[in-house]
Amino acid sequence: MVRALKYYAFWGLPGAGILALALAPLVADPYLLHILILILMSATMALSWDLLIRTGQLSLAHAGFFGLGAYAAALTYSQLGFSWWLSFLAAVLAGGLAALGLGVITLRLHGMYFAIGTLAFAEVLRTVALQVNFTGGAVGVTLPAIFGGDRVAAYFLVVTIFLICILASVLLQRSKWGLAFQAIRARQAVAEVLGVNTIKAKLAAFVISSIFPSLVGAFYIHYVTYIIPYEAFSLNTSVTALVMAVFGGIYSTAGPVIGAVVLKILEEYLKSVIVYGYTVIYGLILALVILFMPNGLLGVMRRAAGGGRAQQIFRWAGGRKRAETPD
Amino acid sequence: MEVFFQALVNGLLRSGLYALTSIGLALSVGVLGIVNFAHGEFLMLGAYLGVFLFLIFGLDPLLSLPLAALALFLLGMLLYRCTIKYVLDAPEINQMLLTFGISVFLQNLALILWSGDPRAINSTYRSLTLHFAGVNAGMGRFLTFVIAFSLLIALYLVLTRTRAGKAMRAVSQSRDGAGLVGIKVQRVYLYTFGVAAALAGMAGVMLSMVLYAQPAVGLEFTLKAFCIVVMAGLGNIGGVIWASLLLGVAESMVGTFLPQGSGWSDGVFFILILVVLIFRSRGVGQWFAH
Repeated sequence: MVRALKYYAFWGLPGAGILALALAPLVADPYLLHILILILMSATMALSWDLLIRTGQLSLAHAGFFGLGAYAAALTYSQLGFSWWLSFLAAVLAGGLAALGLGVITLRLHGMYFAIGTLAFAEVLRTVALQVNFTGGAVGVTLPAIFGGDRVAAYFLVVTIFLICILASVLLQRSKWGLAFQAIRARQAVAEVLGVNTIKAKLAAFVISSIFPSLVGAFYIHYVTYIIPYEAFSLNTSVTALVMAVFGGIYSTAGPVIGAVVLKILEEYLKSVIVYGYTVIYGLILALVILFMPNGLLGVMRRAAGGGRAQQIFRWAGGRKRAETPD
Repeated sequence: MEVFFQALVNGLLRSGLYALTSIGLALSVGVLGIVNFAHGEFLMLGAYLGVFLFLIFGLDPLLSLPLAALALFLLGMLLYRCTIKYVLDAPEINQMLLTFGISVFLQNLALILWSGDPRAINSTYRSLTLHFAGVNAGMGRFLTFVIAFSLLIALYLVLTRTRAGKAMRAVSQSRDGAGLVGIKVQRVYLYTFGVAAALAGMAGVMLSMVLYAQPAVGLEFTLKAFCIVVMAGLGNIGGVIWASLLLGVAESMVGTFLPQGSGWSDGVFFILILVVLIFRSRGVGQWFAH
């Protein structure tokens, strides 16, 4: 029975998910499709942020990589005449290399240096984008809409990016890297004694985790068609990604995705009520979640389920029990 | 050469606010072991308090200093009691996420309540200028510098000469040890967090006097304050002062001598953070590792 359930959970759930994603354009009107695209972008941002926190590193640079990807794609596309997929490749390269550089400097140190270093990195990228000439300064850059404005095609592109991120998350979680990450966040010294190359593992996690916001940024500029530095490197981008992940439940694949779906819908509603400063709700949710349900929605659901079938499904979904951290 | 001295003086005057803000952050990192991302928000709230006291009651910003100090002291203690207290033993990630959430909340609350437009005080301190040996200094900036460093000296005396200050230092050295000799650790934490907020609040009032109040100003100061604390090394008040002077002067020099410099000077702190992380990583790392 459990075996059969496991089997269905393993193949059935993601199969149903992919089928739903594939069929969505048939039933969704253009507005709903647009919301779906936004949700998938957010889910990719949140899940990729989670990839790094699994090593115990708190990154506030997601906005930086998002903006970097957007600008790399926009500039290579408009100035160098790259095709759209080559411009996405340029975004991945820019994000990956920047993560490598920043990681080498900051990841050797205690967690809080990394958090502040990444926050400063994102803030400084905005200064650079405003200052140098080839980015168009405060005016920003404009591109023609991708696929001639075909929203369904754009939708399938973002679905692809999202699925690659899911795949990366599940594979990392199930491989020996997943165990290495867990060991590092529980106690780095112990992980080292166990033979984990902690710097290498953290660096790998950082680079992989940073490629996705760059991809989403590249998609954003191609889809929305214009971007300005204040928006590209807005702290809000990092805030929403991390709050979605923490709200849904970190250290899992399902948690950040669930968090992104719930909060993005809430945000779209709130935006119609409060134009500026709707991010206030993200701050509030973050503080409350840390104080009252540090394991997020997934933790609450897991406790409610208490075991049995639901637990099997959650375990499949990558929602491992959170490692106890005594310090 | 005159331009150089002018830039030097501008930088020195600027560093007063940096020092005052950073000391508070250094206290909360050093004594409580909490990296408070919301520290700059105390400064932002202080700045708005200064602006509103001036606009509504016509209160001179120098007179609203003690009021802001009291208000932020109480707010700091309230925040500690309601939130920070519960994550003292939690993983560092949770501590950072909590204070970051508070920071985002306060910043956007200010954006909703008071809009993103910068607000400034049109006090007499803005128009007065001091001249000395061919170098000009705004009266407001000069007063800010003098008051900030007077407060720092007062804080130094409190930390070294009074029982309360000695208790704070004892707790920062060893929480358990301090508890064993009868120091009420929780109370020290409470007051320390309040004092840190009060110092930032006073810096905020003075910021509204020489620059302006704006919701996003807190984040900028949090980052710069952290840069200074990292440069100084923990528990080192003298270090904080030197690091503040260095940051202030470096920003001023970049702003003066680089083409389009005033835009680039916002990035100076990041270069300093990176340089410090690369060259002092071992030493500073030991300071911060629990």
